[in-house]
Amino acid sequence: MDEVFEKRLPKPEDLNAMTEESLKAAFAGESQAAEKYLVYAEQAEEEGFPNVAKLFRAISFAETRHARNHLRTMKGIHATADNLKAAFEGESFEIDEMYPAYREIAKVQENAQAGRSIRYALKAEMDHKWMYAQSRETVLTGKDIEDKPVSVCLICGHTVIGDLPDKCPVCAAAKEYYRTF
Amino acid sequence: MEHPFLNTPPEPEDKGAMTAENIKAALAGESQASQKYLAFADVADSEGYPNVARLFRAVAFAESTHARNHLSVLGMIGSTADNLKAAWGGETFEIDEMYAAYDAVAALQGNASARTSIRYALKAEVDHQGIYDSTLKGVEGKKDLGAAPVRVCPVCGHTVIGDAPHECPQCGTAGGYFKEF
Repeated sequence: MDEVFEKRLPKPEDLNAMTEESLKAAFAGESQAAEKYLVYAEQAEEEGFPNVAKLFRAISFAETRHARNHLRTMKGIHATADNLKAAFEGESFEIDEMYPAYREIAKVQENAQAGRSIRYALKAEMDHKWMYAQSRETVLTGKDIEDKPVSVCLICGHTVIGDLPDKCPVCAAAKEYYRTF
Repeated sequence: MEHPFLNTPPEPEDKGAMTAENIKAALAGESQASQKYLAFADVADSEGYPNVARLFRAVAFAESTHARNHLSVLGMIGSTADNLKAAWGGETFEIDEMYAAYDAVAALQGNASARTSIRYALKAEVDHQGIYDSTLKGVEGKKDLGAAPVRVCPVCGHTVIGDAPHECPQCGTAGGYFKEF
């Protein structure tokens, strides 16, 4: 990161337990605010308020700065190989524990829409898990991964490296619904 | 494969209490994953892994689609006027309750860097609260916000409508670094 920023950012710190709990909760709050504002921006655009949409996107970015600062202070940002490991472990938890448990409860409670939102996420986390695992192997040899497009389904988050499918294998959205990075 | 809504995000539904709790927890998880991956992307860029950085940004976007789906199921996406009220309410809680309490704990425990991260956020939330309040008044009268750019400090999240200051009043970063929306 730019040195000009570096010296002004809060530094990683040995935190007392209660302060660490506070920053964890603040990180959760900022992260959710950032996501909500992105969704609100789309809604504002649909209603014909493009400048309100722009405002929501700007403030969402401000919240990502706060989330990054809190994460950095908690020593949650490391070298890329370690970040890929942390990302892999997060995806694994969601796949092995979190979403299967939530899916069962949604089934018992007959909440079909919740079930669908859970299934979409669970399927995509499986894509992410192996992408992170493979990328880490490559980064550990000091090399970057291949320069191939990464595309994401706008509806369900299905993630694919390389060519797009004709339609999303998870939610059946047409390939025009993918955003390519 | 399922039912007729294949190309739309999951929709609001009346949920069992446990399922509602789970979807809220999943929203928190997806939002935090997205923010972590954005921060990890910056590290990958600085370490010379531009394709890993791109992967992190794509997957962050996938997690944003999951967060949006969960928000939709929870019925938390309203009209723009309602969204501005919700955003104002969230900022107000952070200013009056959350950050005020966390700062007191961090001060007690002598965690200086945590206090910096909290102060940067708290100051920006005050900007956001004011901007949301005035924007809501316009939208209630069916008026969009003005077209002036919104600028955000990339270090502390300080947010201004119109010209950037010579340097950020919160963290001293030069105005030229502000991100324009």
